Amino acid sequence: MDTTSVCNVSEALSQADGDQELLLTLAELFLQESPKDVAAVRAALARQDRDGLAAAAHKLKGSVMPICAPRLFESAKRLEVLGRQGEFAEAASVCADVETRLAEVHAALRDLIAGGFPS
Amino acid sequence: MNLDSTQHIARSFDSSAPSCFMVATILLVEDEPVTRTSMAARLKRLGHRVLEAENGQTALEVARRERPDLIIVDWMMPEMDGPTFCETVRRDPAMKSIYILLMTSHDQPAQIAEGLARGADDFLSKAASKQEITARVLAGLRTSRLVRELETTGAQLESSMLLLQTRQAEMEADLQSAAAFVHSLLPPPGIPAPGLALAWEYQPALTLGGDLFGVAPIDADHLGLYILDASGHGVAAALRSASLMTFLRVENMLELIGSYDPAKVLFEANRRFPLSEEGEYFTLWVGQLHVPTGSLSYASAGHHGVLLSPAERPSQWLTRPSSPLGFDQAAVFASDRILLQPADRLFLLSDGIYEASSPTGEPWGRWRFQQAIETQKRSLLATTISHCFTEARRWQEQTDFLDDAAVVGLELTV
Repeated sequence: MDTTSVCNVSEALSQADGDQELLLTLAELFLQESPKDVAAVRAALARQDRDGLAAAAHKLKGSVMPICAPRLFESAKRLEVLGRQGEFAEAASVCADVETRLAEVHAALRDLIAGGFPS
Repeated sequence: MNLDSTQHIARSFDSSAPSCFMVATILLVEDEPVTRTSMAARLKRLGHRVLEAENGQTALEVARRERPDLIIVDWMMPEMDGPTFCETVRRDPAMKSIYILLMTSHDQPAQIAEGLARGADDFLSKAASKQEITARVLAGLRTSRLVRELETTGAQLESSMLLLQTRQAEMEADLQSAAAFVHSLLPPPGIPAPGLALAWEYQPALTLGGDLFGVAPIDADHLGLYILDASGHGVAAALRSASLMTFLRVENMLELIGSYDPAKVLFEANRRFPLSEEGEYFTLWVGQLHVPTGSLSYASAGHHGVLLSPAERPSQWLTRPSSPLGFDQAAVFASDRILLQPADRLFLLSDGIYEASSPTGEPWGRWRFQQAIETQKRSLLATTISHCFTEARRWQEQTDFLDDAAVVGLELTV
């Protein structure tokens, strides 16, 4: 698997103006915040809440931008659109994708925090 | 105006000034912590002081307290979204001019239009490059500085204006009370002595005038009269006129020279009122009338505004070539004598009445004044004078006179 499609570290570092400390902080913050967003997505899906689903997916999508995870970003974006349209059946399936990709991103970020930046 | 503030504005307009020195307070409003932390770090790296708020309500409190130079607010937030936040700020008089950048991940024209309409100044994409963020923030800060300078300058101008208006009102009140005092010194119309009638009209050019006149009994048989004109206008001229008027009081003349002999009065006035350092001077006409016989002796120091209008003969100006007061300390003034008949009229007038100019610049002139008097010989004295003012106003096509306008009429009643 192309690791840059999970999490493009060099692009994220560039967006953080080359500040490695900042990127590690953002990674930790993402590890801590994103499960809450996914939980909010699940809860909204369960009560078939269009606005709630769109808002939670939008928030997750926003948090992905600084860490440059393109596949997760695309899934979150799709989920936001489906939420707005009230397509709950398809949204449930995309939500599963989001969870899978989120797990990949979490693993990549944990590696980064533990192993440091590739030289 | 405060000079410092002018210089501040000049500096703000100076585009050559390095913009990287603009350190500002920026309020960042974003509910999503990763984006907020990322953006805050990037703004801090540009050297700015960054305040963070995770919702609109908290942001409003911070903005009111800190008055940031710039607010960057996320569009999509729970409870209060970005556009609603912009509207709330714009409604608050203390914050309405704060520059707001609306942060968004979408950039469709319709949304941009909505954001601008609801109070945003510009947009910032969440995916913006470092260069774009730097450029938009600096552009916003330049505008924000300029607006603040203008607000400060505007407030200073307003308070200066209020101060000036207060001073102006005080000065006008002072001028009016001074004018009222000068008017109280003018002779009351009516019967200054048995067998005589007095009427006059006087319209000073400014609130205070430099042309004044007097008519007062000297003893049981004699009446003293004069008209004076101070060169220049305004308060200074009026004060100098009032001082000469005080000097010309009958009791003062009797004490100084023992009579109201016109030549002697002019001689003394000439000695005591020299040309001022600013080159200001007086012209003065003085007369003494022996009421039982109608014998009028008079003398003039450069004043040419006295007209005799006999009941049965043509009118004539009572003057002879002479210089104004104060030019030559040793000057001697010649007097003339003329015999007035019952029903004859004497008019003392200021140059303001006959120098009234038509819109094309032609003065009304002494000749037209004389004509106006000639045609009004049968009218009441006050009516004749009033007619002169009407004619002069008609000539200049306006009510107010550029110079003091005075016409004093004295009539030997039958």
